Amino acid sequence: MMDLVARYVAAVQRELPESKREEIGRELRANIMDQLDALTDQQGALSEADIGEVLKRMGHPGRVARQFVPPQPLIAIHYMPVYQHTLFLVLGLLFLLQVVQTALAWMSSSDMGIIAYLFAVARGFIEDSLFGFAVITLIFYLMSRQMHEQNDDSDANWQPQQLPDASQGWQVISRQDIFSDLATYLFLLVVIWYPAVMTVDQTDSVRIALSDHAHQFLRWVSPLMVLGIVASVWQLRRRLWSRRMLLGNIVLNLSFVIVILMLAVFTPLLILDQVQSPGVYDLALLEHSAQVTLIIIALFPLWEAGRDLLRLRQV
Amino acid sequence: MTTSSLEKMRLELRRGVLVLAVLASLTQPHYGYSLRKQLLARGIDIDEGTLYPLIRRLAEQDLLDSEWQQAEGRERRYYQLSDKGTELLMQLTDEWQVLNAALGHILGGVAEEAT
Repeated sequence: MMDLVARYVAAVQRELPESKREEIGRELRANIMDQLDALTDQQGALSEADIGEVLKRMGHPGRVARQFVPPQPLIAIHYMPVYQHTLFLVLGLLFLLQVVQTALAWMSSSDMGIIAYLFAVARGFIEDSLFGFAVITLIFYLMSRQMHEQNDDSDANWQPQQLPDASQGWQVISRQDIFSDLATYLFLLVVIWYPAVMTVDQTDSVRIALSDHAHQFLRWVSPLMVLGIVASVWQLRRRLWSRRMLLGNIVLNLSFVIVILMLAVFTPLLILDQVQSPGVYDLALLEHSAQVTLIIIALFPLWEAGRDLLRLRQV
Repeated sequence: MTTSSLEKMRLELRRGVLVLAVLASLTQPHYGYSLRKQLLARGIDIDEGTLYPLIRRLAEQDLLDSEWQQAEGRERRYYQLSDKGTELLMQLTDEWQVLNAALGHILGGVAEEAT
C-alpha cells in the first residue's frame, strides 16, 4: 500500500528541478506519512482506497510540484514590453531586407511571376524570422536570468511631465503601418534603381521594363522615397502623431499622388523586349493596364492625405 | 458571478492572509501536519498541497528556521519563525490591523446601505 505513496512522491519529484528533488521528496513523504498515521489512529488499518483518497486530496503531482517550485517565465515580465518591441523591430527589418533581396531576384528573373515573388518573400521571411526570434528570445532569457539576481529600479526616476501628450486614440502609430510604408518605399527604390545594382546579365534578362523617360523621371523623384523612409524611421522613434508629423505626411502623400498620376500619363511608359518575347505581350494593352493600376495606386496616398487632414483638425 | 470566478477571487483574497496565519502560528515549532491541524482548529482550512509548499517558500526566504528531528519513529521537519520572520510578522500584523479596521468600516457601510 505504501507503494502508492512512493509512486505519488516520485511523480511530484519528476516535475521538480534536479537540485530540489531529494529534499522536497523527503519532506513530502514525511508529511503524507503523518497524515496517514493520523487517519489510522481515527479509523484503524487503511485500505488502498483510503490512501488514494488522502493523495487525491493533496492534489495532482504536477500542481503540487508547481506549488513547491513555481515555474519561472522564460522572459521576465519586466522585460516583456521591451522584448515584444525588439522582436517586432527586428522582424520588421528582416521583412524589409527580404523584400529588397527578393525584389532584386525578381527583377533579374525571366520566369518569376508576382505570385512566385510573394511566395519567395514569405519563405525567406519565415526562415530569417525564425532565426531572429530564437536569437532575441535567447538574449532576453539571459537578461532575465541576470535580472533575477539583481533588483531592477530603472522605472524609479520617471516623471509624469515626460509623458507624451496624446489625447486621441489614433495618435499612436502602429508598427505594422510603419513597416508596410518602409517596405513600399524600399521596394520602389529597388524598382527605380535596379539597373545600378544588377549585373549586365541580370539586366539583359528583363523582358518588360519602364521606358527610359519614365525611368529618368522616377530617378528624379526618388529622393521622395528616401524622405518617406526618413519619415517612417522618425515615426518608429516617436510612435505618436504630432501636428508637424501629420503635416509632413500630408505633403509627402500628396507628392506621391502627383508623381504617380504624372507617371500614369507618360508615353511611352513601358518598353518590351520583342526579340526575346516576340508576340507574347500586347504593348498597348500593357500600357493601358499599367495606367489604370497607377491611378488605383494613387488613391491610397490620396486617402491617407485626406485622413491626416481630418486628424489635423483634432490635434 | 459564476462559481469559478468566485473561487478565483476567494483564493486571491486568502493568499495573503494565509501567509500571515502561517507566520503567526509558527511562533511555536511545528511540522507540516501539526501546523495544518492547528490552523484547522483555529478555523483556517488550508489544503496540504498548498500549505507544505508555502512553508518551504517561507523557509527559503529565511523567514523560518527548520530542523529535521526524529519523533515517534519517524523523521519530521520542524519549522519555527526566524528573527527575520518575527520582525516581518510584527510589521504585517500592524498592517493587517490597519487594513482590517478600514475594511470593517467600509464593509459596515455597505451592510448599512443594503438594509
